[in-house]
Amino acid sequence: MLGKGGKRKFDEHEDGLEGKVVSPTDGPSKVSYTLQRQTIFNISLMKLYNHRPLTEPSLQKTVLINNMLRRIQEELKQEGSLRPMFVAASQPADPLSDNFREAQPAFSHLASPPLLPTDLVSTMPLESCLTPASLLEDDTFCTSPAVQHDGPTKPPPPALQPVKDSFSSALDEIEELCPAPTSAEGVAAESAADDSKGQPSESNIHKPEGLPESRTAESKLMDPLPGNFEITASTGFLTDLTLDDILFADIDTSMYDFDPCTSATGAASKMAPVSADELLKTLAPYSSQPVTPNQPFKMDLTELDHIMEVLVGS
Amino acid sequence: FSGAGGGNDIQWCFSQVKGAVDDDVAEADIISTVEFNHSGELLATGDKGGRVVIFQQEQENKTQSHSRGEYNVYSTFQSHEPEFDYLKSLEIEEKINKIRWLPQKNAAQFLLSTNDKTIKLWKISERDKRPEGYNLKEEDGRYRDPTTVTTLRVPVFRPMDLMVEASPRRIFANAHTYHINSISINSDYETYLSADDLRINLWHLEITDRSFNIVDIKPANMEELTEVITAAEFHPNSCSTFVYSSSKGTIRLCDMRASALCDRHSKLFEEPEDPSNRSFFSEIISSISDVKFSHSGRYMMTRDYLSVKIWDLNMENRPVETYQVHEYLRSKLCSLYENDCIFDKFECCWNGSDRQVEFLSLCTSDLSNIVMTGSYNNFFRMFDRNTKRDITLEASRENNKPRTVLKPRKVCASGKRKKDEISVDSLDFNKKILHTAWHPKENIIAVATTNNLYIFQDKMN
Repeated sequence: MLGKGGKRKFDEHEDGLEGKVVSPTDGPSKVSYTLQRQTIFNISLMKLYNHRPLTEPSLQKTVLINNMLRRIQEELKQEGSLRPMFVAASQPADPLSDNFREAQPAFSHLASPPLLPTDLVSTMPLESCLTPASLLEDDTFCTSPAVQHDGPTKPPPPALQPVKDSFSSALDEIEELCPAPTSAEGVAAESAADDSKGQPSESNIHKPEGLPESRTAESKLMDPLPGNFEITASTGFLTDLTLDDILFADIDTSMYDFDPCTSATGAASKMAPVSADELLKTLAPYSSQPVTPNQPFKMDLTELDHIMEVLVGS
Repeated sequence: FSGAGGGNDIQWCFSQVKGAVDDDVAEADIISTVEFNHSGELLATGDKGGRVVIFQQEQENKTQSHSRGEYNVYSTFQSHEPEFDYLKSLEIEEKINKIRWLPQKNAAQFLLSTNDKTIKLWKISERDKRPEGYNLKEEDGRYRDPTTVTTLRVPVFRPMDLMVEASPRRIFANAHTYHINSISINSDYETYLSADDLRINLWHLEITDRSFNIVDIKPANMEELTEVITAAEFHPNSCSTFVYSSSKGTIRLCDMRASALCDRHSKLFEEPEDPSNRSFFSEIISSISDVKFSHSGRYMMTRDYLSVKIWDLNMENRPVETYQVHEYLRSKLCSLYENDCIFDKFECCWNGSDRQVEFLSLCTSDLSNIVMTGSYNNFFRMFDRNTKRDITLEASRENNKPRTVLKPRKVCASGKRKKDEISVDSLDFNKKILHTAWHPKENIIAVATTNNLYIFQDKMN
């Protein structure tokens, strides 16, 4: 029998996070409510964007996850507009940067080096405040490893850096030709995000620059995704983005839609069906081992390297 | 039941288990649907590999009156093959989502089986005689040299080893953009419905080149989509009435006589949310995974993630009964969301109608008084509506002594765990029982674990 001493910290945490009614207005449990909300938000995003089955994903599941994300976003918007001085233990009001960071690290270089500190800064609060759901409860059946949450915060594997830089410089050139798109809503969301953070000022400066491109990239990234059908092409919280056709119209971004950072974590190593098939077609002449289109495969970094060279070269 | 009117509780005993013994489950062997035919003599299972296996009950041996006939493999066939959707560059799974039997009209048996996109009508027929003594052909089929034919004879039918053949008689394809989750045969036995995430179509069993769309909830702008259809069923007696359930926990009853497109429901069944149980996951756990009418059609049962609800068709604003299947999971919803278990689609079923009880209580009470549904750790649950008692049993090879009564199981939610109880944290969430079926006439149940089929029957005295 556990005395009051026992697992108190975990228990309190547990109570605040699960099941029991935690009203957003309670003082101390507000933090854990926010924490849980952020956790669920991140999990939901990962479910939508990292899961690449060979068959069409379940529409019911997608709809339910989308509804979850929308609800949380609504809450965040309301909180953002009502309480601009809200001190968050995490960074709830910036789902887009999470999106940006998790869904396509291939584009994380888009914002020039100044964004990197932002990246780290924005991840730091996440790391320090956010406990992976697997640790939030005292249970053993949580199958996703803690590393899944850490995944996006890891720096890209060094082998990819040189390749990305050459690619990023190419994109930078294209960017210079086009104005960075912004929208009224986008700016408002950013200011809400900025206000809600007690962040070092450099992040505030760099975020507005980095975000528009990232959002554009991301929104355009959604479009060619096959099998994600219409629902994930615009999931509500992305509708305020403007699509920059000049920037991306001619580039088939589906090929770049993979996540080398999380490829090590196993579950997310399956690639988008289109990109996998197309890559295989390009790989076929180069690869020494036969691969069948519908086989999920894990690519090691050298192969990845090779592919990037091929793509950038062509 | 022994005696009429459901007096004593049923004592369940292990009878048989079908399927591979090893723990390493081949993906194709995962059972995806289980269904008894109308007489209960046949039991069909569908699996992820697109196969249908039909078991047949042995005729009861009069000398062995202590047990009912065993189920043995009767027919196995490949119902659906994997396909590739070239437009979307995606595979179409061959997994059998549902099987529904047609009532028997002649010597052959018919069933409908469906995967995500295509429904097929299969004819299962027996052949135990074959003609012998052709004039122009040898027994092995080779043609005889006509010059050697000097006499004529009439071919006769001679017995042969029983052969069970399955042949596809109708293929109902290309009518569903989204994944089919339900099929239901109408009480007219001529038409049936098929439901996907956003639409329900009405078919005639004889006509494969067209179907009528009777429900369409697809919004003009897919961005506005917040609700999908999760299950649908025809009313057992009224051939113009059907219901469909949604991912938001609502059930709509529609009457096809009202209009061609039944987008406006006749009744909407929805229970207001309990504010004390509100959480981030309220919507997800309210999503209904199965809906089944009772035998009389007066009630219907719905299964959501944590509970089974019985609805009276005359009362729309709340169910008449609610049974908690595994309430101890309510505090684990975040983890269950993360590992996707929260999206598991549990089915539910009513007991069969007992012949003795049927005669006596035909007018007074509904014959549907026990509900059964699955849970995790290979547990399954039964709720008796009359006695309000419930029981948890386990489908496991450890209990495989025939005629030994299954021991009730108990999950300890928190606090001190008693002996023989299992704590929530020890539950195996990979061992889930999603599909169960109850023999239409007798107390025999079929329970599917991941890749095994268990058959239990009540202890006959």
